[in-house]
Amino acid sequence: MADVHQIPVTVLTGYLGAGKTTLLNRVLTENHGKKYAVIVNEFGEIGIDNDLVVGADEEVFEMNNGCICCTVRGDLIRIIAGLLKRRDKFDAILVETTGLADPAPVAQTFFTDEDVRKKTKLDSIVTVVDALHIDQRLADSAEAKEQIAFADIVLLNKTDLVDRETLKNVEARVRGLNPFATIYHTARADVDLDKILDRGSFDLARILEHDPCFLHGHAFDPTHNHSHDHDHHDHGHGHDHGHDHHGHDHGRDHHGHDHHNHDAVNPVHDAEIRSISLTTDTPLNEQKFDTWIGEVLRTKGQDLLRAKGILNMSGKGERFVFQAVHMVSEGNYTGPWPAKDKRRSRLVFIGRKIDPKVEAELKAGFEACAA
Amino acid sequence: MAHKKIQGNLASWELGAYAVAAAENGRLLAMAFGDGTVRLFDSETPDAAPVVVNAHKGACLALAADIDKGGFVSGGDDGKFVKIAAMGSAETLWESKGKWVEHVTAHAGAGVRAFAVGKVATILNKKGEQRELAHASTVGGLAVNPKGKRLAVTHYNGVSLWWLASTAAPSILEWRGSHLQPAWSPDGDYVITAMQENALHGWRLSDGEHMRMTGYPGKVRNIAFTRKGHFLATTGSDSVICWPFSGSGPMGKAPSEFGSASEGALVSTVAANPKLDIIAAGFEDGSVLVGQPGSANTIGIIDAGGSPVTCMAWNPDGDRLLVGTEAGAVHLADFRG
Repeated sequence: MADVHQIPVTVLTGYLGAGKTTLLNRVLTENHGKKYAVIVNEFGEIGIDNDLVVGADEEVFEMNNGCICCTVRGDLIRIIAGLLKRRDKFDAILVETTGLADPAPVAQTFFTDEDVRKKTKLDSIVTVVDALHIDQRLADSAEAKEQIAFADIVLLNKTDLVDRETLKNVEARVRGLNPFATIYHTARADVDLDKILDRGSFDLARILEHDPCFLHGHAFDPTHNHSHDHDHHDHGHGHDHGHDHHGHDHGRDHHGHDHHNHDAVNPVHDAEIRSISLTTDTPLNEQKFDTWIGEVLRTKGQDLLRAKGILNMSGKGERFVFQAVHMVSEGNYTGPWPAKDKRRSRLVFIGRKIDPKVEAELKAGFEACAA
Repeated sequence: MAHKKIQGNLASWELGAYAVAAAENGRLLAMAFGDGTVRLFDSETPDAAPVVVNAHKGACLALAADIDKGGFVSGGDDGKFVKIAAMGSAETLWESKGKWVEHVTAHAGAGVRAFAVGKVATILNKKGEQRELAHASTVGGLAVNPKGKRLAVTHYNGVSLWWLASTAAPSILEWRGSHLQPAWSPDGDYVITAMQENALHGWRLSDGEHMRMTGYPGKVRNIAFTRKGHFLATTGSDSVICWPFSGSGPMGKAPSEFGSASEGALVSTVAANPKLDIIAAGFEDGSVLVGQPGSANTIGIIDAGGSPVTCMAWNPDGDRLLVGTEAGAVHLADFRG
């Protein structure tokens, strides 16, 4: 059969002036061993003449597939189909969105369109945040919040322009919007590119690797108070233990977790976008969970931006990993539980309108999935 | 890669570049590739090496028969709209750096060429005069009606029907969703579009009647009317779904189907024979067969095991078929023997 290799796609979001273009130029010019086709929204910003740079129009289409919030980027479908005609010319794709873009249609394109899904895979959503102006952005822009809430990786940029106290507050706000993103501090988007490219953040088999603490629930437990500060150090939380037992060595040193400030700050919760974490030590019934989560996504998917879960299904020796972008979801068994880990189920939702009533409903529903 | 030939003599080439589109103009069959070349195959001498035309700097995105005998027009991601003469010379008719020319068409009777870049479709007449037709969203496909009077331009939420000879505003055929390849029935009364969803939509122009054709497991990338318009053959399923268009049209009728490949492989492209009511169908598993709507008999041309078939073209006599695949294998099948 034909080559079934799927091309990884990184989505780069962030408000105007946050530092996206700086990062894009680095991806295009630095010698990182990979050739990127780059889909940009503004040609002029990139000062590089490169026939792998393609302009996009951000055309958002509704899909008439019965899913009320299912929007896709028609231009991306088109451009990716075009790029695939010379796929021997590049190794990966990077999609830049405008500062005002809602990341959902971009992400949904990679799960919804058959051709795109077959030939490419969404690798990570990377959001660049301007540490100096974030408060203002979060106050006046719903998109700025959604871009953070959607991210797998947040580059907290321009950290050289703020003092340590401000940075701590900024990080707390980011963490409040998104409990599972990996956060890096940068001054001029100067992160090691291999920490943001080809990460497999949407790869069910790799979700745990990005957040080995996921199951322990430390990421944003509001009662969990670490007083130590957090400038780029590893705080000894066993961040490495998730790496070794997946057997997915791709020839790179996984040193990327030293900036991974999971539990270093108390998250500052946002009034509109909240996250909740549901955990249980009781094994779940897969059928019950399927039915329940299907109903949750059908009725609340419009307000739920992202969900991730690692679940212990009754009678199964393997971890069930689940993720969703609005109503689009996928789940699968991804390998055995590590012998030393407790088999606990955890499911995280990030979304709007998660008030105490909704939270209680979700909690009760999740617990009712017990086998 | 060896392709098992089942019937018909087959000449094959491994060109290594994505076969994007195929077209016919007289005895010449052309295929456009992802490496920017257009290759011309002489259907009268199937074993002869094709003429290579370096048409585009990047990838070819579209190809159609030109208004000139034996010629073709192509569009590429180098922003060029190119005219290719029968001898293999290329001439750039329009260019805009940084843009993609994604759709091209031409109508010999009307003497017009047309292409689309983003939201604008441009009509070029023989004198080289240009007319730009703007749309609210990106153009999904172009097709001139058989009489050469109107240009159908698909886009988000419908189709615009422009008169080639008049600057009047277009008639808009509305239907929610993103419309891609359009097809006119040979009598010019139906316009059918393949959609972003796994469905087709159609309009009967004489009375404005709508028709929806659904039930596809995959995206319908390509559609073709049989020569007299009795059937519309479609891709997107694991057999060739053919909607009946004779009499009162397909409304309320079940489609007929024929042909299948290896388990689960979908039809990826179809081409209607110009002389007989038969259809060539290419599949995702690389196989190609020829069959007739309503009949279970099919003739296998190429067996499974190759890369997905992306495009095909018949010669005007309907006895030679050019086939291209994603991996760049090209076959010229001969049914004359």
